[in-house]
Amino acid sequence: MASIGSGGWARRWRGFAREAWLPVAFMVGLFVAWEGFVRGFDIARYILPAPSEIFAQFILRAGLLWDYTLVTGGETLAGFFVAVALGIPLSLLIAFSWILRRTFYPLAVSLEMVPKIAFAPMFVTWLGFSFVPKIIIVFMVCFFPILLNGILAFTSLSEDLLRFSRSTGAGPLTTFFKVRLPAALPQLFVGIKGAAVNATVGATVSEWVGGDAGLGYYIQIATGDLRMDIAFAIIITLAALGLALFWAVVLVERALIPWHISQRVGVQHVP
Amino acid sequence: MSVPVEIRTVRKIYPSSGGPVHAFGPVDLAIDSGRFVSLVGPSGCGKSTLLMMIAGLLDITDGEIAVAGRRVVKPLTDVGIMFQGNVLVDWRDVLGNVMLQIEMRRLRKQDYLPQALDLLASVGLKDFANRYPFELSGGMQQRAAFCRALIHDPPLILMDEPLGALDAMTREQLRTDLERLWMERRKTAVLVTHSIDEAVQLSDEVIVISPRPGVIVRRFEVDLPRPRTMEVRQSATYHRLVDEIKKIFFGYGVL
Repeated sequence: MASIGSGGWARRWRGFAREAWLPVAFMVGLFVAWEGFVRGFDIARYILPAPSEIFAQFILRAGLLWDYTLVTGGETLAGFFVAVALGIPLSLLIAFSWILRRTFYPLAVSLEMVPKIAFAPMFVTWLGFSFVPKIIIVFMVCFFPILLNGILAFTSLSEDLLRFSRSTGAGPLTTFFKVRLPAALPQLFVGIKGAAVNATVGATVSEWVGGDAGLGYYIQIATGDLRMDIAFAIIITLAALGLALFWAVVLVERALIPWHISQRVGVQHVP
Repeated sequence: MSVPVEIRTVRKIYPSSGGPVHAFGPVDLAIDSGRFVSLVGPSGCGKSTLLMMIAGLLDITDGEIAVAGRRVVKPLTDVGIMFQGNVLVDWRDVLGNVMLQIEMRRLRKQDYLPQALDLLASVGLKDFANRYPFELSGGMQQRAAFCRALIHDPPLILMDEPLGALDAMTREQLRTDLERLWMERRKTAVLVTHSIDEAVQLSDEVIVISPRPGVIVRRFEVDLPRPRTMEVRQSATYHRLVDEIKKIFFGYGVL
């Protein structure tokens, strides 16, 4: 099989540089303007810290930030993986069983509308300040995008492709692994990426509500002390954590579905 | 090997919220082994429905269909189906798409690989075996789909407007390919199309179907030499046939 998008690292890096210079330049400009604004107007640090003060906190508090990143990252990953591990098989069951679909699909859609964060205080009441209520909250914010997109993925095979499969006399398992599953992967990844975006939000808020460690807990302490410089440093750390998870998912997606239209950047079309 | 198809007083009635819809029939039709037969009719006349009923992919409301003397009660597997959309899968290259037919049937891949490559070469896709469908033009994709429908050497070929989604020039090219592929095999072939020209060019017999509920209006024997070259298609017989069929559709107000 031909490989897709294998263009050599040098070319890929040049491509990335060409794409990235504009947002990078913008961010540098923004930080310079921000620094100038804070210094020029002598803004109090507890209102708006200068970027230099924020970056100083990364060095001063590197140890604590790293420890808390591990705590929040652990909760995020645990909840995310449980959601993937349960969401995909359940979406499969619901897609292929009409009785489960009739029963659970309306419930799943309704539950998706509920702000899951609202459950956080209850879980803290029931389960205390431990790791478990955080994982449950992360799981809840990740589970529904995976489930709903999974159901959509497994139910939207083209009719002609289904007819082709039936005309080969292939059994359900062969049809599943050769046709249904690969056809479902792009939509499955829509759900998994949505979950990856939600995951750090879930972890942060659950620590807010009842935690004694982690970046969400730390941000509450920092803002309570009016240490906006520390708070901004934590927010940037959280953004990095979220991006790391998202990009990890994107890398897996690229490896699994290099053929999909969303991955076809820079591929030559044969006339 | 090829097989005969018999259609005996077949009707199709769909249930709908406004009561049952009589889509098709009653139709009686016998297609002899090794013949190329086209069903021509306006949109919605049920010609594709009939094709899918022959394939065992749609229920027959009443009547019965027999292929090779056996009544069709479940999806036929001794068949090659060509769809309007090419139904190539995005995640396999062209060769992989052709071999999907073999893998789905759990046949030995090594036994069919040389044939798959020959088949691709015969439609000009030799150098594209390892390309992905999105890297190909529409006509090339449809050619690859033809190969997939033929790789397991089915005795019956069912074609549901396989050229319908292509531009006029590509369609002309693929008709020639299709005729050649059929002449090399002489399998029983049923083509559904709304192009009169296409039906006359490719068929031994053209069956004209009325607007819904579709019934057979007339059958035309196409007694012209093959291959149907440009000269054949400029002959008086060819044009008279096309004109006569057109006249029927004028009569129904669909042309």
